[in-house]
Amino acid sequence: MSEVNGMDERLKETLSAMMDDEADELSVRRLLAHSDPEALRSHWHRWQQIRSLMHDEVPQVLPGDMAQKVRASIQGSLAASAEVASESSLPERGWRLLRWRGSAAATVALALLLGFGAGVGWQVSPVAEHGGELAVHADAAPLVADVPEIPLQGLDDQQWEHLSRYLLEHAQHNSVAAGRGSVGYARVVSVSSASR
Amino acid sequence: MTPIKRQSQLQSSGHSANPVQRAQVGAPYLANSGYKGPAGNAAMVAETDRLNKPAPDSQTDIQLVRKVRRGDTAAFDLLVIKYQSRVASIISRFVYDSQDVLDLTQETFVKAYRAIDRFRGDSAFYTWLYRIAVNTAKNFLESRSRRPQGSVDVADAEQFDEGERLRDRASPEQLLQREQLAAALQVALESLPEELRSALLLREYEGLSYEDIARILDCPIGTVRSRIFRARDAVDRHLAPLLDEQGGVI
Repeated sequence: MSEVNGMDERLKETLSAMMDDEADELSVRRLLAHSDPEALRSHWHRWQQIRSLMHDEVPQVLPGDMAQKVRASIQGSLAASAEVASESSLPERGWRLLRWRGSAAATVALALLLGFGAGVGWQVSPVAEHGGELAVHADAAPLVADVPEIPLQGLDDQQWEHLSRYLLEHAQHNSVAAGRGSVGYARVVSVSSASR
Repeated sequence: MTPIKRQSQLQSSGHSANPVQRAQVGAPYLANSGYKGPAGNAAMVAETDRLNKPAPDSQTDIQLVRKVRRGDTAAFDLLVIKYQSRVASIISRFVYDSQDVLDLTQETFVKAYRAIDRFRGDSAFYTWLYRIAVNTAKNFLESRSRRPQGSVDVADAEQFDEGERLRDRASPEQLLQREQLAAALQVALESLPEELRSALLLREYEGLSYEDIARILDCPIGTVRSRIFRARDAVDRHLAPLLDEQGGVI
């Protein structure tokens, strides 16, 4: 198969058939995929010009490559809009995600605090005060710096029982309510059960 | 040298032509092709009358639009090249400044690209493009607080005589270039082997499908397809230096 001016003969024949609305979809796809774009445009342009000439159509004077200008304009506007989108939407999405996770973490932390508050005579153990404590975090808790960590090591039996019952109740309640927070509670419950 | 009559328009380009005119056009070159024209073949009259019905949307346009929707910019390039001259001509009916015409032509295609997903195919792609061009030109004039300088009906889109008004505005140099090209075209057509010339002219001047041409020339459709391509390629080789030299004149 010979190749002249950047396009092989078979592809040029397809292009010719396209001029006459006689090319099938597969051939068009192959043409667009395998042709040198510049050669393709050049042939198509000249053949359109020849057709105009054959039909004595009075041409419009179009200096330069209109297709190239249009393409540049489209690419320029697409790039500009993509830039604007990346500047606005990504931080927006990030903030939304952060807000949601923050809310979830705050809810979990508040629930835990209330739970501890319900206990009588709970004290932070000396072990906890000296570090090395095991902190329970909600899934998204690390994203929020100001959520207080709850030390669980050093709890006595009564405190563990109280906490477990409390978390179990909340897990049951949330599973009925089908809230997203129920997953977190369930995990905490399973962790607390296993640790006992 | 026998002059070439170039009066008919291709159905696929959205133009219709009088059947008698179409029968006359290209006749000198079709004398040996076995094609006797509509009057000489009753079956062919029915066939050619069929061509007078409103043209369906160009299959090629539909294929290209589909590719553009999938993000193929090369396909859109082909649509731009195919219609750029006609779009510029439409806009020049409203706007006289040549730089404005160019800018608005470009804007029309950019708008078309952005709206391509909204092209439902209810009308021909060219008709849809025509509406965008007219609206772009009108909006331009309104933005300058000027009334449209010309008026066109969307219904004219299919029968639009391309750039008629520009005929009077062509410079002497452009007119000379055009005459040179026409003469070169004539030489190129005359130098084609008979079977190639017949196939090309039946397609270009009569607007016949490959199937109809195959029936007339009594050969397979694939042969018709090949002959038309080879004829086109030969004419292209002959005219390419002139066309390249004259840039965007046509």
